[in-house]
Amino acid sequence: MRQSIIWVNEDSLRLSHPVFSFSSVDIKAIFIWDDVYFKEAGYSLKRLVFIYETLCELPIQIIRGDTIAILKDYDLCLLYIPESINLFIRDIINQLPETIEINIIEGEPFVCLPRQTQYGRFFQYWNKVEKTALLVDGGLK
Amino acid sequence: MQVLKTQFDTYEDLVSYVKNLAPWSEGEPSFIRGGRKSAEINLLRINPITYASTRNYGDGDITRLSPYIHHGIISLNEVRNFALTKCSDPSQIIKFIQELGWRDYWQRIISVNPEWAWQDIESYKTGFLVNDYADDLPDDIIKGTTDTSSINAFIKELIETGYIHNHARMYLASYIVHFRRIKWQVGAKWFLKHLLDGDIASNNLSWQWVASTFSNKPYIFNLENVDKYFAKCVDTSPLNNQSINDTYEALTLRLFPKLKEIS
Repeated sequence: MRQSIIWVNEDSLRLSHPVFSFSSVDIKAIFIWDDVYFKEAGYSLKRLVFIYETLCELPIQIIRGDTIAILKDYDLCLLYIPESINLFIRDIINQLPETIEINIIEGEPFVCLPRQTQYGRFFQYWNKVEKTALLVDGGLK
Repeated sequence: MQVLKTQFDTYEDLVSYVKNLAPWSEGEPSFIRGGRKSAEINLLRINPITYASTRNYGDGDITRLSPYIHHGIISLNEVRNFALTKCSDPSQIIKFIQELGWRDYWQRIISVNPEWAWQDIESYKTGFLVNDYADDLPDDIIKGTTDTSSINAFIKELIETGYIHNHARMYLASYIVHFRRIKWQVGAKWFLKHLLDGDIASNNLSWQWVASTFSNKPYIFNLENVDKYFAKCVDTSPLNNQSINDTYEALTLRLFPKLKEIS
């Protein structure tokens, strides 16, 4: 039977991430320990230990192997992914079959500003967001 | 499909397990521990009011939250909301929140322009062409055995802990790109290997900022500046830091001689 899962990545290691509230409570969450990815990224042991220690605190399964192969093995109908700027994750998403519905969930916003704004230098961004940046929840709740 | 272990009797057992998973990985674990509990301990220690006046100093009131923020263990929103509880008026902590804003800004820039992670956004404004910069990191930088003592101390801390002060990151980046004339991408990749908080947005775009491929001029520093902010942390004696011991005017002439020809 086709199933839905949450594919947690190294940029979203907290239970309070909106991806966990968007999906149903009994949906399985996995982290894929992809040796080839980590080796190509050249992560030192301290980075790997930091990630692994954090993963062990979360109610998720850590699965070792090739990311694409593992995701395809699940016979997925729906995949929840916390938004990430990681180019590897973006590349994987582009390689997944179109039969899988992909739902990318953004983290809590820091400020009130449309994602696709053109920003220029930092202070052009800051001048747009300063008022909301100084408010609880960015003034969004 | 191999399901990995998540229960360990001791931290040392966990480290040993990860070493077996990645025998190719270099170094030892950092003293900075992962996990939400460690993030919360660090969060409780922040002082967003004194941060503004001390953050540039090696022993200033910096938060050391970036490894937790980068991994999403704690969100920018949570940090900002907590910081607001530590002041009577938000105007007291503008600088602190602005620094959180830098991370949000870098993330947004890369989200819209992912190709900027590794491509020069603009030309170098140093008088040099891309091909004038080296493609490899020399051994003395990798090992922290350059002729500049303060730089060696920053390298040692980076390699041993996976964390260095933001100001020290700028010194190191500037040293590599401008004093040693190496492509910023080489240094950025080396930082990503070691930094617990290393991501292609904050890290790579900051390197581009230092290099001048995403800023109006190259960022340089001198011994006087290192001594002002890090004298309590590293060796800033002139004898052991001769390569950076000069005025900004003299350094500019030495590091960017072609700029004079152009002007």
